[in-house]
Amino acid sequence: MKFLRQLRGELRKLFGRRRTYIGYFVFLAMEAIILFVFKLEKTQDGMRDLIERNGFGFSQYYSSLTVTYMVMGLSMFLLGSIYFALVSGDIVAKEAEDGNLRLVLARPVSRLRILSLKYAAVSIYTITFVLFVGITGYAMSVAALGWDGGLFVWNYKMKVFSVFPDWWSGIGRIGLAALGIGVSMITLSSIAFTFSCFKMKPAAATIMALSILFVDLVLQEFPFFKPYEQYFVTWRMSSWVYLLETSISWPKLAMSYLFLFGLNATLFLIGYTAFRLRDFKT
Amino acid sequence: MLEVSGLSKSFGGKQALHDVSFRVERGEIHGLLGHNGAGKSTTLGIILGMVEPDRGDARIGGISVQDNHAGALSQAGAIFESPAFYDYLSGWENLRILANYSIGFDPERARRVVEEVGLTERIKSKVGSYSHGMRQRLALAQALLPEPHVLLLDEPTDGLDPEGIKWFRDFILELRNVRGMTVLFNSHLLAEVEQMCDRVTILNQGRLVHEGSLQDLRDEDPVYEVTLDPWQGACEFLELNGARILAPGRISLPPELDPAIIVAALVGTGVRVSSFAPVRRSLEDLYLEITSRHGS
Repeated sequence: MKFLRQLRGELRKLFGRRRTYIGYFVFLAMEAIILFVFKLEKTQDGMRDLIERNGFGFSQYYSSLTVTYMVMGLSMFLLGSIYFALVSGDIVAKEAEDGNLRLVLARPVSRLRILSLKYAAVSIYTITFVLFVGITGYAMSVAALGWDGGLFVWNYKMKVFSVFPDWWSGIGRIGLAALGIGVSMITLSSIAFTFSCFKMKPAAATIMALSILFVDLVLQEFPFFKPYEQYFVTWRMSSWVYLLETSISWPKLAMSYLFLFGLNATLFLIGYTAFRLRDFKT
Repeated sequence: MLEVSGLSKSFGGKQALHDVSFRVERGEIHGLLGHNGAGKSTTLGIILGMVEPDRGDARIGGISVQDNHAGALSQAGAIFESPAFYDYLSGWENLRILANYSIGFDPERARRVVEEVGLTERIKSKVGSYSHGMRQRLALAQALLPEPHVLLLDEPTDGLDPEGIKWFRDFILELRNVRGMTVLFNSHLLAEVEQMCDRVTILNQGRLVHEGSLQDLRDEDPVYEVTLDPWQGACEFLELNGARILAPGRISLPPELDPAIIVAALVGTGVRVSSFAPVRRSLEDLYLEITSRHGS
């Protein structure tokens, strides 16, 4: 109970700040732009070509579900990561910089508890943000394309190709995928969170986390690293797309998410050790 | 009630505290004095568990802060210079969040404390709109909410206007007089310390140079203003007898020397003694004497 009361306070602090909402507004604007683009004839021709070349009907699969999948899949890594890194990089470092943390540290509460609360708060932020993008993306797609139609999924990199002809199975899988993306993105939040625990500026923590993410993404594309792609964090983070396979490959998913959970736990421990050893003094 | 023993701490090879020990008794207001960088904030940081000492230990109510952080700090409340609240939240929400880190938030008790510190009308406003004085009142409220036995104040009156300082001083004195609260008051406003504190600890370059009551400090080498003729001859006699010449017409005598005997002896050697009067030194005088004696 006490933990939940404290977590409520932590969430109040997090969601009471204006900058927490920057990402929400940017995504809403971006979704509107993407939907506008998807309404253009040229874009529709490209999609028609892709869907029909694979033997499916354009009118059935050029749907709100397919567009939602694309919005989430395309935007979360490249744009969402900025906001996850920003909020998680702030969560400890900003309070340490502003001096708020001294008021908390002067309380009879352990540093482990303080960090656990903050980690739980950024994890909740990450998952709710992804769900927000999924729900608003879908709502906008419905407004533009109507609610019916199936789900068409293709991902060359992860070798996933599947279709869900009826709406119910499609929406179920999209919901599951949104949850999967949220859990995957916690790893990026964990990286930024860990840096935030060190004695550094919040902006530095954010930049370091994003640097790691993008270096990982870039290196993964090098032919030399192709045989080792499963050791890259971003490759593991992309495993959420397996949730959209016609028949979900649970062992593959479990392997990837265990890898990510292990990494998150390690990052938390590193952050905690750094935070535990820090002296806080004016 | 509060005890630090053998505290040593260095930052990046620079020794900030050298073997500092002192005690604060129950119901006492204790001043922690020192120049900037003397080690006051480091000491307070160690007492609050924010700074890990290289050696030594701090105890609140007999519980070691280093061994049982939560147990020790559950008895203490703290106020810092320019307390950093969450400006985008109201005073009330700040209190709720901070109180939940200790014994939990009791709205009824919070209302009482807010009324005591005179913030009732503005408690629902965002802290970003508060003046410095209101922030200090809110700081006091958050420190008092968990009903602590010990209050640790780090430069709490810095930046307050004279009315604010007086209000704060009276409030702290009342906390001690009515509730028997123990207070450690870290400040470089010596007039404030003099008006509030029963005992003081003076730090100089990380070392403890004095611990005791202000009266002890005054009794230690009392100072006299004297008119002696001839001055030079009198000085030689006085120095031979253990007195220190502080300035022309100003001397200090070791406490064991009876000034009446010295006056008689001076007269006996032919010195004309026109006046020989004790000087009541302010804390500032005493502080400067002590720190200059220790090479600050």
